[in-house]
Amino acid sequence: MAGLTLPVLQTAPPISDWVAVAPVLLLGLTALALFVVDSIDPDSSNSAALAGTAAAGTLLALVATLLLLAGGVGQGQGGALRLYGGQLIIDGMALFFTVIFTSVATLVIVASYDYLRDRVYQAEYYMLMLLAATGMALMAAAGSLATVFVSLELASLPSYALVAFMKDNRGSVEAGLKYFLIGALSSAIFAYGISLVYGVTGQLGLEAIAQQLSGGTQLVGVLGVGVLMVAGGFAFKTASVPFHFWAPEAYEGAPAPVSAFLSSASKAAGFVVAFRVFAVAFSPEAVAQSVDWTLAFWLLAAVTMTVGNFAAATQDKVKRMLAYSSVGHAGYVLIGLAALGGGQDGLVLGASMLHLLVYGFMNTGAFLFVALAEYWEVGRTFEDYNGLGQQAPIACVAMSVFMLSLAGIPVGGGFMSKYFILIGAVGTGHFVLAALLLVNSALSLYYYSRVLRALWVEDSDGSVAIEGYPLGLYAAVVGAAIVTFLLLPGVFLASDVATAAASALFA
Amino acid sequence: MVAVQYYLLLSAAIFCIGLFGILTRRNALFFLMSVELMLNAANINLVAFSFQYGNLTGQVFSLFITALAAAEVAVGIGIVLVLYRNFGDVDVTKATTLRW
Repeated sequence: MAGLTLPVLQTAPPISDWVAVAPVLLLGLTALALFVVDSIDPDSSNSAALAGTAAAGTLLALVATLLLLAGGVGQGQGGALRLYGGQLIIDGMALFFTVIFTSVATLVIVASYDYLRDRVYQAEYYMLMLLAATGMALMAAAGSLATVFVSLELASLPSYALVAFMKDNRGSVEAGLKYFLIGALSSAIFAYGISLVYGVTGQLGLEAIAQQLSGGTQLVGVLGVGVLMVAGGFAFKTASVPFHFWAPEAYEGAPAPVSAFLSSASKAAGFVVAFRVFAVAFSPEAVAQSVDWTLAFWLLAAVTMTVGNFAAATQDKVKRMLAYSSVGHAGYVLIGLAALGGGQDGLVLGASMLHLLVYGFMNTGAFLFVALAEYWEVGRTFEDYNGLGQQAPIACVAMSVFMLSLAGIPVGGGFMSKYFILIGAVGTGHFVLAALLLVNSALSLYYYSRVLRALWVEDSDGSVAIEGYPLGLYAAVVGAAIVTFLLLPGVFLASDVATAAASALFA
Repeated sequence: MVAVQYYLLLSAAIFCIGLFGILTRRNALFFLMSVELMLNAANINLVAFSFQYGNLTGQVFSLFITALAAAEVAVGIGIVLVLYRNFGDVDVTKATTLRW
């Protein structure tokens, strides 16, 4: 792809294992540090110190990841670092996604500082969020189905608790219950799928599975069921059809910063694991004679984006609309998996990774704006947002950037990443998916512009008076908007990194 | 020695019993038990195949699953507890504040 190229060292200097997993360790250690602080002073109401510690941890992890990425660690063809007997793989893709998780976690933690004012159990909140981020960073680096399962649970279990965090609020508890029920069911299905794959290959390591499968297998039926069940586990984590039912409930009921975290970081974590498992273990060449899973993802992509966008168009609450739109975006990203084996694997997968990066900022920002609205207690429907543009112009400009970028209008990176996915779909001959992407994007413009109309065109009925401009929430929303906007020119730099990282998988 | 297919049949049956329980039971505690059944069906598979292939990978992983199942129940019981406090029942169909 044209554009700037990041100077990547051809031969990265040898580094110790500890340095390579530094981002994960930093996240985990910060969570434990908060745990220690909380056990020494359980009644601490010093929320600035707690949020500051948590944000410092995620920022340090972000910087460490960027340094590793710029230093060329684990990148290039065949340059991936295999740690602990191949259980963890540090490569370009793992680092790229760790950037997404740590930036989203930083934005969400900064925003939570205001959102959680006067609430108890703040240390636990930040700790759970950091533990979930640790799990996600591990998911990005997982090199065997065993590490995939353990890290997926490490990311999921804190998320259940986070969704039900407001335990006196019926909506939050109900959301937590539904998220937990569907999550537990899908992890059981996922575990059973892993056991079937193990039954066919006798291996849990991703590369070892690929080696076994490339020799062909008699147990095509068992393998097929296993692969489908594993795909089901990923569909839950990424909020794709048929396991998307929890998403609107969980995102609507959860505290808005948690919704932002789940819909951006958790979704990206589900996708990175799916990319790695399906590109490495069940690579299209290895399973060419047995299980053609690209067809399954073709169907999932088509249904997911259509269901998500049509459902989003009929909502009257902003948070629920964003939840369904997040299902729709999962459908766009699934095109990357559906188009594998078409001869342009690095390009299509890179486009999906790029969309997840841009989505991480624009969607987090949009949910954090909803958090801001909840902080002001202006209400949840589109009509409640009427006239906010006059009262809080800066935040509303940021929200407009998110909405237009999500719809694919070139005021943010969302336009370019969707364009790359479209090129990938057309280039591999998936014209139906490309057409569906265009139709759905056009439809999404309708419901995103409803927010813009409420903010800028409609007049307020005067019942809502905004009190205060919370610094943390504002910083997070504006920061996300600036990055979303900068990703429009910066997308070429990011896309080179993403495409190189994706191509290295197929070396 | 019992052939491996019979273990697979056993685990498939247990998995289906668990799935049936999840789809029909309305009590959240029965739901947790059913998930436990499904996870243990996966464990049976792993141990049986591990024995067949003569490597310990599957057995070790089944220990991981057992530990994670316990952690999952711990979180699940907590959520069921706050469900009971808010709705006065552990019936999963009673919680309908949000539109489905």
